[in-house]
Amino acid sequence: KKRISHTISTVSGEKNPIVGKFGSFGGKFVGEVLISPLAELESEFNSVLLDHDFKMEVETALRDYVGRETPLYHAQKLTDHYKNINGEGPEIYIKREDLSHGGSYKMNNVVAQAILAKRMGRKSIITATNMLRKPSNVQLMELLGAQVKPVEGSFQAAASESTREWISNLQTGYYLAGTAVGPHPIPTMVREFNSVIGKETRRQAMEKWGGSPDVLVACVGTGCNALGLFHEFVGDKNVRMIGVEGGGVGTNTGDQLHSASLVRGEVGVYHGAMCYLLQDEQGQITKTQSIASGLEFPGVSPELSFLKDAGRIECYTVTDQEALDAYKRVCRLEGIVPALEASHAFAYLEKLCPKLPHGAKVVVNCSGTGYNDATTVLNS
Amino acid sequence: ATSITKPSSLTYPRSSFSQSSLTFNKVSTFRPKSLTVSCVMTQQPEAAAQSTVLRPDSLGRFGKFGGKYVPETLIQKKRKELDSILRDYVGRETPLYFAERLTEHYKRPNGEGPEIYLKREDLNHTGAHKINNAVAQALLAKKLGKERIIAETGAGQHGVATATVCARFGLKCIIYMGAQDMERQALNVFRMKLLGAEVLKNQICIVVSTVVLEDYTILVRAVHSGTATLKDATSEAIRDWVTNVETTHYILDVRLIGVEAAGFGLDSGKHAATLTKGEVGVLHGAMSYLLQDDDGQIIEPHSISAGLNTRWEIARRAGQIGWLMGRNKFMSPFANCLFSLVIIYKNAAFKRLSRLEGIIPALETSHALAYLEKLCPTLPDGTKVVLNCSGRGDKDVHTAIKHL
Repeated sequence: KKRISHTISTVSGEKNPIVGKFGSFGGKFVGEVLISPLAELESEFNSVLLDHDFKMEVETALRDYVGRETPLYHAQKLTDHYKNINGEGPEIYIKREDLSHGGSYKMNNVVAQAILAKRMGRKSIITATNMLRKPSNVQLMELLGAQVKPVEGSFQAAASESTREWISNLQTGYYLAGTAVGPHPIPTMVREFNSVIGKETRRQAMEKWGGSPDVLVACVGTGCNALGLFHEFVGDKNVRMIGVEGGGVGTNTGDQLHSASLVRGEVGVYHGAMCYLLQDEQGQITKTQSIASGLEFPGVSPELSFLKDAGRIECYTVTDQEALDAYKRVCRLEGIVPALEASHAFAYLEKLCPKLPHGAKVVVNCSGTGYNDATTVLNS
Repeated sequence: ATSITKPSSLTYPRSSFSQSSLTFNKVSTFRPKSLTVSCVMTQQPEAAAQSTVLRPDSLGRFGKFGGKYVPETLIQKKRKELDSILRDYVGRETPLYFAERLTEHYKRPNGEGPEIYLKREDLNHTGAHKINNAVAQALLAKKLGKERIIAETGAGQHGVATATVCARFGLKCIIYMGAQDMERQALNVFRMKLLGAEVLKNQICIVVSTVVLEDYTILVRAVHSGTATLKDATSEAIRDWVTNVETTHYILDVRLIGVEAAGFGLDSGKHAATLTKGEVGVLHGAMSYLLQDDDGQIIEPHSISAGLNTRWEIARRAGQIGWLMGRNKFMSPFANCLFSLVIIYKNAAFKRLSRLEGIIPALETSHALAYLEKLCPTLPDGTKVVLNCSGRGDKDVHTAIKHL
């Protein structure tokens, strides 16, 4: 127990991780050829964390380009919806990452890494993304000047291909990790660049009600947006943290497809890191499914994996249908359209709120806008 | 085909609005010597320094334009509540972003050029400036005790913004949309319904009537035409409002000003350049420039961008600009050459901002961005240009791609 609590405080306070391990999770399970570039990245990352100019440049970009800080919005109608017959219930606050440039929290990490890449003198950025569900995103990427190379297969295949591309361009290329899963220093870096979410929330909570949140709720794909909100509060014992994963059609039967790595997965190595992942008896990665494509990752952040084992975070799943219902509920009650991913977090409120004491402060991370999910919702 | 009442035959309405604790702002007199217009760079900086805010007189007139042919929106007292909503719900204040790469693009060979700043209204909740107006009017409606909101919409953006605020404020929302627009924008119709709004197809009808309500004379002309687009929806909405005025507030859409759509060019007859080519008439309750032929019939406007496709776009603010155009000879030749370049560069401007700044602008905004090509070479080194990035353009990618 002592060792776990020591490591939690290390995790919560860490700025310059040496080993890249979160308990037994994390690490660098990669081929020889990546060891040196990752070490270089780690060294650069550690140095910019102490660099005032870098911090100023990132802050300015986050403020003027991305549109931070994002509001912590008191959702009165959603709060009223969860009041019981005595008029008692928790207070629901929404962290509005949907208002960021690009429509989601992802820009925080991307902007910081792009500035880092420029500092390192790199000329090109390589990354992997999922294009299957939203072909219109390809048009957007090309309009913005990107070269999009299609890869047969799932996101895993795209990630492998982009890693190969990076390896053949190590001098001029920069691999921009968009997920919290990967070899060290990637999970730490992505978490650190997203932690602005939690830092703002702490300040805004203090302004609004003179305290900290009681419960934090976020959806979990690989864990970036959740960690972005949670990390700041890991050391605050009185702040509950809830991660909500994609239950797909339902997790009751073993046969049904879902994306619940933390709830239903086992420990293994995925994309160079030890973490919870969904694998079959032969250790093969299983197919995942969720109505929200951003939740369809078989692996999850090593840091979240550690926090789950340490009992610091609670993990649940909601089904596709529950997420769709939540999407519609938030639209109707607040005029806010949450991404289907974030709708999973909103869906969990149905189970959570009846059990909370009157006046408990709940912060839900609205990790992105669901404006473009309308087609999926229409077709469902 | 429609007949328009010529200005001279109208009676001006009397002023007081009996209803309430709400007050008018004090009107300041506009000094004719000042050249300042908020959307245009002046070439005489000392005149710009004397600028005063252009306000209508107590009858809502800007000279002979504007006027209270429909009850005007009033300034409300409860700033604090509005400010809180603008901050936590809409996401204000929006950044004033220094567009470094766009600035570089406009540098001349000797390294000189203006500095371009973008006012990021694209970052607002719902992705455009429209929500500012919708939120304030919804608050106003609640204060007036209205339960029902109506609005018209063309492409659906104003409809979605209105439905959004109605959901937030618990108001019943009815959106009027032209039948053709409803087909083209089916996804937006779905979005409005998800937000709890009722979307009504415009019923084509002819209503010509003059209704006297309290101290106001409201002139309502609904237009019968085959197009079933925004102007028909607008007329239908006005008719609904007049019928249900006790319970209903009409959220008027304040549109873009300053840069009009030149369509196929000003000489082709197929454009929407109301201010440049139009003449004075009345449509939808405000005297403004309209596109009309010699018999006073309205000519259909033409533009790729649905949001700029009607004179109603300009009617609300045309009074301001029209007055200035009439009074100030400097503006007119300037305005004429301004608008004709718009169609040629708009799509290029859409692409340029995407490539250089990673910001995808609305096609409407792209009209203003296109004008920078003409403007920047004329500006002295270091001039600070603020361009209103009025909305984001994810919705326009399909349309724009075809023309790129």
